[in-house]
Amino acid sequence: MSQAKHTANLLWGAVALGALGVAGSYAATGPERFWANWVMWFVLLFTLGLGALFIVALEHLVNAKWSVPVRRIPERIATLLIPAVPVGLIALAAVPVLYPGARPEAAHHPILAGKAFWLSLPFFSVRTLIAFALCLLALWMLVGGSLKQDASKDPAFNLRARKFAPAFMAIFALVITLVAFDWLSGLTPEWYSDIFGVYVFAGAFLSGLAATALAVLSLQDEGRLEGVRGDHLYNLGGFLFAFTVFWSYIGFAQYMLMWYANLPDEVIWYKVRLEGAWRLITLALAGLHFVLPFFALVTRDSKKDPRRLRRVAYLMLGAHVLDIYWLIFPILGAPRFSWPELSFALFFLGGILLWIRSAMQKGEDMPVGDPFLREGLEFRL
Amino acid sequence: MRTDAAQAGAIPEELIEPSLTVGKVTPGSLDDQVLAFPETKPPKQWYVGLAITLTALFIGLGFIGYTFVTGIGAWGNNSPVFWAFDIINFVFWVGIGHAGTLISAILFLFRKRWRNAIARFAEAMTIFAVMCAVIFPLIHVGRPWLAFWLFPYPNERALWTNFRSPLLWDVFAVNTYFSVSLMFWYLGLIPDIASMRDRTTSKLRKVVYTALALGWRGAASHWQHYEKAYLLLAGLATGLVLSVHSVVSFDFATSVVPGWHMTIFPPYFVAGAIFAGFAMVVMVLVVVRETMQLQNLITLRHLDVMNKVILSMSCIMGYSYLMEGFTAWYSMNEYLHHGFMNIITGTYGWAGWITISCNILIPQILWFKKARASYFWMILVAIGVTIGMWFERFVIIVISLHQDYLPSAWRIYKPTMTDFGILLGTFGLFFTLVLLFARVLPVIATTEVKAILPDAQPSHHGDDHHA
Amino acid sequence: MPETSYAVLGVFETPDALMKAIPKARASQLGTVEAYTPYPIHGIDEALGLRKSPLGGMVLVMGILGALTAFGFQYWISAVDYPIITGGKAVGSWEAFIPIMFEVTVLFATFTAGLGMLLLLNRLPFFGHPVLSSKAITGITRDRYALALEAENEAFDAAAAARILQEAGATEVEILPAPDRSPFLTSDYILRVAGGIFTACLGAGLVMYFAIKLFPVLAPMKYMQDQPRLNAQKPSSFFKDGHGMQRPVAGTVARGHLPTATGTQDESAALVNPLPRTKEIFAVGRQAYKNRCEVCHGAVGDGMGSLTAAYGAKPANLHAQQFRDYPDGKIYWAIVNGKNAMPSHAADLSEPQRWAVVHYVRALQRAQNAKDEDLKVVAP
Repeated sequence: MSQAKHTANLLWGAVALGALGVAGSYAATGPERFWANWVMWFVLLFTLGLGALFIVALEHLVNAKWSVPVRRIPERIATLLIPAVPVGLIALAAVPVLYPGARPEAAHHPILAGKAFWLSLPFFSVRTLIAFALCLLALWMLVGGSLKQDASKDPAFNLRARKFAPAFMAIFALVITLVAFDWLSGLTPEWYSDIFGVYVFAGAFLSGLAATALAVLSLQDEGRLEGVRGDHLYNLGGFLFAFTVFWSYIGFAQYMLMWYANLPDEVIWYKVRLEGAWRLITLALAGLHFVLPFFALVTRDSKKDPRRLRRVAYLMLGAHVLDIYWLIFPILGAPRFSWPELSFALFFLGGILLWIRSAMQKGEDMPVGDPFLREGLEFRL
Repeated sequence: MRTDAAQAGAIPEELIEPSLTVGKVTPGSLDDQVLAFPETKPPKQWYVGLAITLTALFIGLGFIGYTFVTGIGAWGNNSPVFWAFDIINFVFWVGIGHAGTLISAILFLFRKRWRNAIARFAEAMTIFAVMCAVIFPLIHVGRPWLAFWLFPYPNERALWTNFRSPLLWDVFAVNTYFSVSLMFWYLGLIPDIASMRDRTTSKLRKVVYTALALGWRGAASHWQHYEKAYLLLAGLATGLVLSVHSVVSFDFATSVVPGWHMTIFPPYFVAGAIFAGFAMVVMVLVVVRETMQLQNLITLRHLDVMNKVILSMSCIMGYSYLMEGFTAWYSMNEYLHHGFMNIITGTYGWAGWITISCNILIPQILWFKKARASYFWMILVAIGVTIGMWFERFVIIVISLHQDYLPSAWRIYKPTMTDFGILLGTFGLFFTLVLLFARVLPVIATTEVKAILPDAQPSHHGDDHHA
Repeated sequence: MPETSYAVLGVFETPDALMKAIPKARASQLGTVEAYTPYPIHGIDEALGLRKSPLGGMVLVMGILGALTAFGFQYWISAVDYPIITGGKAVGSWEAFIPIMFEVTVLFATFTAGLGMLLLLNRLPFFGHPVLSSKAITGITRDRYALALEAENEAFDAAAAARILQEAGATEVEILPAPDRSPFLTSDYILRVAGGIFTACLGAGLVMYFAIKLFPVLAPMKYMQDQPRLNAQKPSSFFKDGHGMQRPVAGTVARGHLPTATGTQDESAALVNPLPRTKEIFAVGRQAYKNRCEVCHGAVGDGMGSLTAAYGAKPANLHAQQFRDYPDGKIYWAIVNGKNAMPSHAADLSEPQRWAVVHYVRALQRAQNAKDEDLKVVAP
């Protein structure tokens, strides 16, 4: 227990140190870089929570049995959506600073004038608030209900969740598209790509999967989640593998089509990312988000191997951070990475870990009220 | 164990998955039911059906012959609508094939056991649909007898193909797709053909089946490699099915034509292909189920799940249409805007509305469990989706082409009799092949169904081989 | 009972019975244990002690090979052997090679998986296996589960094996005779097969060659060539005179040759030289003058060209006062229409070239009739 206490103290220390740096960075480097960091961590937090909730809803939607024993893990990670709300509300202050569409000049811009209302701060905030409300509703339905089921053992929850799952998919599609178009592509509002929502979805789902895999493995280290075997890990690994490929497919499709058509209003977005130091980061993203995990997970045995799965999960989370960084930071010019970014990472990572650690201590590790738990435990490849 | 508590409450009926077979089905009875078709004389309706499909096929062949002799001026294609029925039909048929690969490969990877009963038929439909599809680019090249020029081979003309052209990517994608589907289908057939070889009494059949079964003897060591190969093929085919329709979408999306150049096209084409394919599979399976008395193997649950897939694909299509419309506005690009308005209000606005209502509105009826279990509604939706998806390609190709950047070049497109005749001919070809397949080869993968019957696998008693 | 037996086959009713019998058969150590089942049985690999299938590694290697092959092939063709810019893309642009690279990867991997499994690992097709001619085979491919103890050497004890299987619960036991062991690959056989393959390839090649050569010129394929059209230098029944090529209609104006100086020379006097007097223009005029005028009018324009002596013609001396007084338009008119023995140069010189020649002639005139004040003009 003292070990856990020690870790908690360490994390609190990281958060405190990070908070100092975060406050200092606003004073030292100006609002733009501060808000770019803030928006990046908000998007990371929000997509991680959404991705985890998507895993839960997917299980209910397709009536999957194998994932019942590990379902509590993405459910706990999905509670990150709760801290995401205040972080996101603060992030709204970034809108007039970072988002050209919300500045008064937009009204006279040849392209932005027509959609100035859509990009303006009031409507932007309304959309964000709607997205938050829908996410919290989904969290309450899917995760709250599941926690209650532990005590009530009422199988009617499964039915309710199943009926709610399709509605969640609609909510999810809306919210993830809003995240993509408002928070990410809104930074360069002249640029448009209708696949962008799918791209962000792939990244979000991957980050949720990677976090789930990591949490499952570390709980197993503590001797918890008894009964979760290589077969379950194999499925998690398989999903990670499949969606690594999917992310690359979507990313390549978008890049290739823009590269091929070579229209000025589209390629400008890639041009800044393929010049100077950003070129290296783009290459690194392709390597870390696709090549490395692809070959690490391609064989059947590697998906079951806990050591390898853990490494790939760390890699995927890191690659997701790099991905969001790559989407946001080019608006500031050359890539920036220094003590402000480190402070933000300390502050938010520490906070996320503290939140997840405390979530992992609450309630049962498995949905013990779920009537399909036994079937899930007996799952074999 | 903690899970014992979970058994306390009664599981709601809706959550219990009904059995995949109805009544008593044993491996032996399965063979007697399914493998007997090729050995018996077909019923009268079969001949009637064959007569109809052959008529359609020959009409189509006639029009193809006419096209050969007169050239593709016999079609309605004009400038600027250089692509019309030929490419619409090509995309349509390639798309139909995708359901088969999805069922046989992707659902296999997801271990959805209900796929086993319908995989064989769906795979066969994939192959037939791709055969129908390749006809169109071949006759559209103008001089089809020189179609082999599409392949990069050293030649006396000292020319190479252009690898930067999406049309050449198509050549590779469709050929790979056909080869892989055929391989996948044939591998699945081998154990079934072996069963037929060992039960047939006719000399001729024995010889044919013996040759086709390659001496399959069901050895455990063979099964081991066979299962591994099947798993690998499923994984490869999954990537392939995503790639093929993506490459087809590149034919359009790499261009700068408004309405074609959309980054969402690759996944959206794949979803649409699966959507149309599933509709066709449902349509054919309902007929097969009734006429061949397969109600015990292709149950209402199979149809229910397939209808759910259709419904979810319909929702994905809806998302794509919304994104297309949203982008047309959000881009503030007047050409995109004009192109999108053409779909809703233009000369061909009716086609746009057929697409939207058949693909998005009508399938919503499948939210109701009753509709998913009713032949009337599922056939209605399936026919609607087939029509809707055909018109979707019409919308993409004809509407986008007939009015692009240069108003002085705008022109209305009208198909000719030849266009319709060749389309009819491919339907004839497709259903002729389906009918022949249904009488010659096992329509249900008996081996795969045997493996998921109750008691088909040894019970796990302590000998946990996964430990 | 035959002299040597290949194997003893025991038939079981259920997979459970089969699985229970496997350890017993393996423990007897009488021969190799193999099972024959109508469909794959879970866990039988471990029970029989089969090694892991190497197919995955084979497929991975071949897949990577396919990717490299496709990329190399495309790159070599597009960037090395036949580099042509299309669509404004660099000849070696990798983005465009990805789709085909992926397809070829899948193609290689699929054929490795399918054919590698059949031909290499399972050694199929093989029609002579004793199990295929056993009585039990109809059950094996239907709903029976057979266990075989297969002979590893001549000392195989078929009777003991049959007893083991019977004790393990087999409902039927069958002893399979050893197959005819006549050598499969004789040199004669190999020769015949190789010869057959060679002949087939040769035949196929010839057929392909002639098909490609002749097929396109058969009806209806040749219809495309039989179009009503005019061929240069060929007769045609379309025109009365029977020629495919026709003279342009009178008054036809070629592109870039708008008619000027069409009236009399005096009427053309008013034409103004549109070209500026620059170094480049003088260079053009000088070149045109050398090509077209110099043979008669001489290098300096004094009418003493190389043709003058040979033919006794008398070209104009451009330094004569008459010509020095000509306005530019009149010189231009003479170039276009010709004068006296001088032919028209309209067909040979474009309009700018003619005016450039006019400038050059003016320069010659001035050079040959220099005045004192011209010296002052010369400046660095």
